[in-house]
Amino acid sequence: MSTRFKEAFQEFWRLNVSKIGVVFLTVLVILSIYVVVSYPLDFGVRYWNNPLYWADYPKSAPPSWVNYFSNEKIPEHYTFSSIKPSNTLLTESGIRLIYLFKLDFQADKTPTFLSLTVKNVTYYDKPVIIRLNVTRPDGKNIELYRYTVPAPYVDESPPYKRFYDQSKRISLTGDLSVASILARFLSREYNVTIKPSEVNSIGQHKIIFSIPKGDTQFTVLKGDYTFYIIVDTYDSRDSVGEVKLVVGGDVYGFMGTDSLGRDLSVGLLFGFPIALFIGIVTSTITTLLGAGLGIMGGYIGGKLDEVIQRTADFVNNIPLLPLLIFLAFILGQNLWIIVFLLVVFGWPTLTIIVRSMVLQLKSGQFIEAAIAIGAPRWWIMFRHIFPQVAPFIFAQLIFFTPTFILLEAALSFLGLGDPTMPTWGQILEYGFRSGGIYVGLWWWIIPPGLLIIWTAITFVLIALGMEPVVNPRLRRMK
Amino acid sequence: MGLARTLFMRALTLITVLVLVIFFMVLVLGATGTSDKILQAMVNEEIMMLRQSLAKTIKDPQELERVINIRKQELTEFYGLTKPWYVRLPDMAWRVLTLELGKARTLKTFAGGNKVSDIVMERLTNTIILVTSATVISAIVGLVLGVRIATRVGGILDRLSSYFSAISYAIPTWWIGIILILVFAFLLRLFPFGGLYSTPPPSDPYMKFLDIIWHAVLPVTTLVIASIGVWIYTTRTIVLNTAQEDFVNAARARGLPEELVRRRYIMRVAAPPILTNVILGLATSISGAILTETVFNWPGLGRLFYDAVLVMDEVVVIALTYIFTLVYVVARFLLEVLYVILDPRVRY
Repeated sequence: MSTRFKEAFQEFWRLNVSKIGVVFLTVLVILSIYVVVSYPLDFGVRYWNNPLYWADYPKSAPPSWVNYFSNEKIPEHYTFSSIKPSNTLLTESGIRLIYLFKLDFQADKTPTFLSLTVKNVTYYDKPVIIRLNVTRPDGKNIELYRYTVPAPYVDESPPYKRFYDQSKRISLTGDLSVASILARFLSREYNVTIKPSEVNSIGQHKIIFSIPKGDTQFTVLKGDYTFYIIVDTYDSRDSVGEVKLVVGGDVYGFMGTDSLGRDLSVGLLFGFPIALFIGIVTSTITTLLGAGLGIMGGYIGGKLDEVIQRTADFVNNIPLLPLLIFLAFILGQNLWIIVFLLVVFGWPTLTIIVRSMVLQLKSGQFIEAAIAIGAPRWWIMFRHIFPQVAPFIFAQLIFFTPTFILLEAALSFLGLGDPTMPTWGQILEYGFRSGGIYVGLWWWIIPPGLLIIWTAITFVLIALGMEPVVNPRLRRMK
Repeated sequence: MGLARTLFMRALTLITVLVLVIFFMVLVLGATGTSDKILQAMVNEEIMMLRQSLAKTIKDPQELERVINIRKQELTEFYGLTKPWYVRLPDMAWRVLTLELGKARTLKTFAGGNKVSDIVMERLTNTIILVTSATVISAIVGLVLGVRIATRVGGILDRLSSYFSAISYAIPTWWIGIILILVFAFLLRLFPFGGLYSTPPPSDPYMKFLDIIWHAVLPVTTLVIASIGVWIYTTRTIVLNTAQEDFVNAARARGLPEELVRRRYIMRVAAPPILTNVILGLATSISGAILTETVFNWPGLGRLFYDAVLVMDEVVVIALTYIFTLVYVVARFLLEVLYVILDPRVRY
């Protein structure tokens, strides 16, 4: 048995398609293991489908490597965060914590937004005051923002804890107080009169990162920016857990983001184990069921065979996708239901083929011999017939896998995927439904499709490599 | 009359499939409580209309309420909502069969009506246009190329086509469509993003026809790319197998011209198995149509399916599942008639 297996493997390994297929599969498996180990189980609900989590990411941003190919440099995305102040000063009223963030800004366009987030603020005496100042490359200083942490409630006793459950995110873009500060700054420094509402519609982040040219034109100001986040505390026990400043870019990461700002590389990675799971699990169950029924029907025959054949014929004769859509729609969108449905509709093809193979084997002498010694039926089926058809069944298992991966992707694309976990089909669906293809967001549309194809091709290649092993007639063909 | 009997048996099998699918659907609808929801919606619809018409004649609100309540009870009785779902199975099955499913919740016909059967029927032609033209093109190109390749086995074209058919097995049809849109509609602006014709459609009928063709190019190409690999590969394999048979060699040995050998001896024998493959691929092309129409916003049944799922319109989803099965069964029957004509052996 083991030499037979070894020979079969050598035969398989001889072909280039097999080698490529196995390499592909190894990469898929490694990536899947990485995801399973490092991602939380509730990734879909807690992060992917939670818009709050992605608030500080740029929306519909292409991957950052597009900058290598374009003449105009698109701003990168900068996130600065710190849990420890860079400086502490003793003032008359208390301790001043200063967080310092430096940014060498060299892009040809201004950033897309600006936001400040604070987390875990504790105070004992007076509410903590948080300010944000910026010094620009031209030496001009703007006091952008001032925020007083909410005062104690009635009956509340110190320590007063703020922003523990949910961090406080202040979007400077769209903030009217920042707009009027900037309007005053423009008229003081450049003699440009502009209403705060106009500043708001141009965008606060744009004004900060540019100098006015005429009354309505702005040119980007490149160079070193320093942001100061100044926190005035009034008690030595007061503390701030974390401050974060985000200078929103227009490119992001290796794969870009979608229209909700979700980092596509994170979602696409999560798709690996799911695609493999659906493909392999569905295929395995389907093959076992289909082969089992085929062997039983073929060997036992009679009424059982008749029932199996009629059912297989029926299932084989219905158009699959409409009924799958119907059932996924009525029964609900859940990964297990989808796998179940794929199995229910997938088994007949194999049953029909395996049955006809068993019918031929049945009259073989080794079977007659086994019957003559008095071997029970299940023993013959399991020990004598199954090993004969096993290589074929295994090849079919591999061959079916891409079909199921593609079917799940199709269902997801039609909006019937499991909403609690992102799959490649779902990422594509959202890109399609939200109009991403009509405005050419290629980084959102092309990668998930290529990943689906890559995964499917892996199994096609392995199946091609197995063909000469399973079908010895092909062996000598070269 | 072997022919009539064979066809009758085929028709019977396919009708059984249709009946079983409907039965299965109704079973699922009943067991999940969906059929109750649909019938209740029909009752509510009628009560609402009754209230509007009665409000003009009956002024006393209490009297109005009383009349409406009586009518509501009658209707609930009439639709069988007082009985458990499994008693209502045959009735529900009949509703699906005759598309008497009431009104769609949000989807409408092009004219603005909301009767389910109207919505479904007016889109049927668009789907048939799309699928038929794609199938005809794939068939012609696939047959011509397949036969050509079979005469030059091992050539570049042969190897290319076998790679292509292996790869096309792994590419989702709808993604091809999306890429075509990205390249030809967005980037090159050669073809429209989707739809059946421009808005507003050209008034001149000739121009309108051209407009539809212009809109159909990308979806038809998508379907052809998706199915042509299989066409070429099966044609090639079957023709190749037939060409190695003894009777073909015998015909060549008799000195018959190659053209005649190919037409009468090879193709005549290879045609039925090729057709079998087409029949088997029919279900796939229906799936392909659903997805391709969705991508290209082609106003056929497939796009309607997507829209119905999107707005959660159960009745339309049910009607479409049934119609797709019906279209499949009818198309399959037509192909099998063709098969019986092509292969005389089937008759006996």
